[in-house]
Amino acid sequence: MSQYILRRLALVLPVLVGVSIVVFSMVRLIPGDPARVMAGEAASEEVVEMIRQQLGLNEHPVVQYWIFLKNLFRGDLGRSTLSRLPVLDEITAALPGTLQLAVASMVIATALGVTTGLLSAVRPNSWVDALSMFIALVGVSMPVFWLGLMLMLLFSLHLGWFPTAGHGTWRHLVLPSITLGLSSAAIIARMTRSSMLEVLRQDYVRTARAKGVPERGVVLRHAFRNALIPVVTVMGLQFGNLLGGAVLTETVFAWPGIGRLMVGAITARDYPVVQGAVLTVAVGFILINLLVDVLYAYIDPTIRYD
Amino acid sequence: MQSIRRAAQLVAFVSLVLVLSVGSAFAQSRLIIASGTDAVTLDAHRITDSPSATVSEHITEPLFELTPDGQIVPHLVESYEVSDDGLVWTLHLRQGIRFHDGTPFNAAAVKYNLDRILDPANAVTFRFLIDPVISVEVVDDYTVRLTTGAPFAPILAHLTHSSIGMLSPAALERYGEDIARNPVGTGPFRFKEWVRNDRIVLERNPDYWGEPPQVDEIVFRVVPEDGARMLMVQTGEAHVAVRVPPDMVSVLERDPNVNVVFTPSVRTIYIGFNTYQRADRPKNPFTDVRVRQAFNYAVDNAAINEFILGGMGRPSDAPIAPGIFGYAAIGGYEYNPEKARQLLAEAGYPNGFRVQFYSPSGRYLKDLEVAEAVQAQLAEVGIQADIVTLEWATYLDATNRPAHENEVPMFLLGWGTVTGDADYGLYPLFHSSQWVPTGSNRAFYSNPRVDELLDRARTTPDDAVRRAAYEEAMRIIMEDAPWLFLHAETQITAIRSNVEGVIVHPTERIIASGARIR
Repeated sequence: MSQYILRRLALVLPVLVGVSIVVFSMVRLIPGDPARVMAGEAASEEVVEMIRQQLGLNEHPVVQYWIFLKNLFRGDLGRSTLSRLPVLDEITAALPGTLQLAVASMVIATALGVTTGLLSAVRPNSWVDALSMFIALVGVSMPVFWLGLMLMLLFSLHLGWFPTAGHGTWRHLVLPSITLGLSSAAIIARMTRSSMLEVLRQDYVRTARAKGVPERGVVLRHAFRNALIPVVTVMGLQFGNLLGGAVLTETVFAWPGIGRLMVGAITARDYPVVQGAVLTVAVGFILINLLVDVLYAYIDPTIRYD
Repeated sequence: MQSIRRAAQLVAFVSLVLVLSVGSAFAQSRLIIASGTDAVTLDAHRITDSPSATVSEHITEPLFELTPDGQIVPHLVESYEVSDDGLVWTLHLRQGIRFHDGTPFNAAAVKYNLDRILDPANAVTFRFLIDPVISVEVVDDYTVRLTTGAPFAPILAHLTHSSIGMLSPAALERYGEDIARNPVGTGPFRFKEWVRNDRIVLERNPDYWGEPPQVDEIVFRVVPEDGARMLMVQTGEAHVAVRVPPDMVSVLERDPNVNVVFTPSVRTIYIGFNTYQRADRPKNPFTDVRVRQAFNYAVDNAAINEFILGGMGRPSDAPIAPGIFGYAAIGGYEYNPEKARQLLAEAGYPNGFRVQFYSPSGRYLKDLEVAEAVQAQLAEVGIQADIVTLEWATYLDATNRPAHENEVPMFLLGWGTVTGDADYGLYPLFHSSQWVPTGSNRAFYSNPRVDELLDRARTTPDDAVRRAAYEEAMRIIMEDAPWLFLHAETQITAIRSNVEGVIVHPTERIIASGARIR
């Protein structure tokens, strides 16, 4: 197992080089000049040209990439073209916010999603099932900026329970993680339900029931564990999405995270920050995928990686 | 035994309550300002955006101040004189001022700052504000002499600009580029903390040389979503919320805890016409002044202001807004579609024509909605304007191309005359030496008489002569119509009713140095 993990970790490097090439060329292919954005609309061409020189934007892209790669291996992601601050500082400042939000909303999503999925599967086509799947549908369909504002209106303005927006205490975390967690919860619920329904039709479940195992034991011990593999896969994907894709929730709740950092940087053509942030999210994705694969073996002992 | 324990608990509880209430009586007063965008940099010399300037001006001060009613008054300077030929400006500095790091503020510090801005290698955007200055001399500890190559009348106005703020030379040496997040100035507040995309915290400078600040801290919170920002000022989580969307004004006005403040801005919104005839292209209709005038007659500015901006704009009657030195009400184009059709016919376009119309989206108040209204009104006179929206960086790039490769026939943009002097509002936009990418003349407008007037106004120290020159220049510009003149923006700010002394400056900055929380 540990050998497998090591092998997988060694694969991280080529993947990152691939990601960096794609990001590096993509940001340069979109029109727009970082030096112009940085200098502002009033700047003269002379100033813009000077900045272009200082940022090395006049070098050949291949040379630029080579410099970027060399610095990367020294742990230097460069400086933001916009703020002139080190990219690493910008990312380390945004990372805790992203992780807090991702973990909190994942906890909510899992608790809600798995419970409703289970309840629906146990009583398929009952009113419980219809109701929870309807809620799940609403959960997936609701745009986060609308849901977020509605939660703010109710819980901040009228009830005064939670702060409207910002970052700081655990109370700041409640509304954004509910907003973000709900749509993931809906997806997890639907996955749990269909996976459970399939497992509940298996012969070994019938055998367990025939042996006289109480229904509770049948569902939780015999069926649920076997239904978990696709659920864990979906959870892994959702968590990965939360790392870089929470930009709307982050914006609505003024939550400082990687998503906003990245979108702001793309808008300003801040190449070094875009590159750094995308690489960080890519590393996150790779690690989560690895974790999910390791979890498979834990859930289902017949899966072995040796 | 149990009663003793209960008594002890009670005592503990009461003392806790006491401590808490006494504590809150002595609690720090903290003013929270919810802004839509984070600052980009706090290196005063490199600031090109209002959110950065708003934060920075509490930390770093300019030599002269532009008051909200448009007066230029000495600030870090005590008095000044100018030589008879208008070339030498002698500034006498206030004495006894120290930067937040203890470095004395003196003539050497002023020279250090101005030299940093003037050095072309530093690529400071607003260098052009003071680039007629050819030398900065230290006469004695508290006297600085600026010499310009030619007389340069707007210099005092330009020295009020936030990008010409004074930073501690010692801090500049120590931090280098990192001065961006370690600003050290002479202002009423000291920099304390900056969490990117979340907040910037400033603390009171106890040794401030001027009127002492009333609050202990100012926190600028970044809240990009309009709805959330407005809710924060309603719940009291913020004292001030900037950039209130016009459609939320009525909700906030109904809230007794919130005041909505309207402040005219020095930002003018316009639609520029590309008046350059490229050799490799068919005839450009905008080279004909009648077409440009027709467009101005075809658009109903009053209606746009009333129905789209909710009355929050001021239809333009000159290329610059009131409150700027040199402004005069020249008079705008009335809404007259008949006349527009007639002018188009005279110009050889009786059936109108089709044109691409570039507009940003979300950069200015209701920009795209305004563009769509203009599009609809142009259609009335036979002009089919196809709106092209580009994201901002691409937009800047496209409108900034040199004349012979510029592909943008007509574009919506804004310009803030943040120096409060007409020179900055007219020279970079209408002087023929300022065609993009050199300056900001994106219409490729050129009129020798306007050039002459703008040059004269810039080199004459006499205010009356300057005013007259600007008035004549603006009259010609309105007549030549290189722009479709739209409106000046109004800043809408929500302030909690228990807060006093917050100033919303026409140059789009919030000044909270004198703020008090009741």
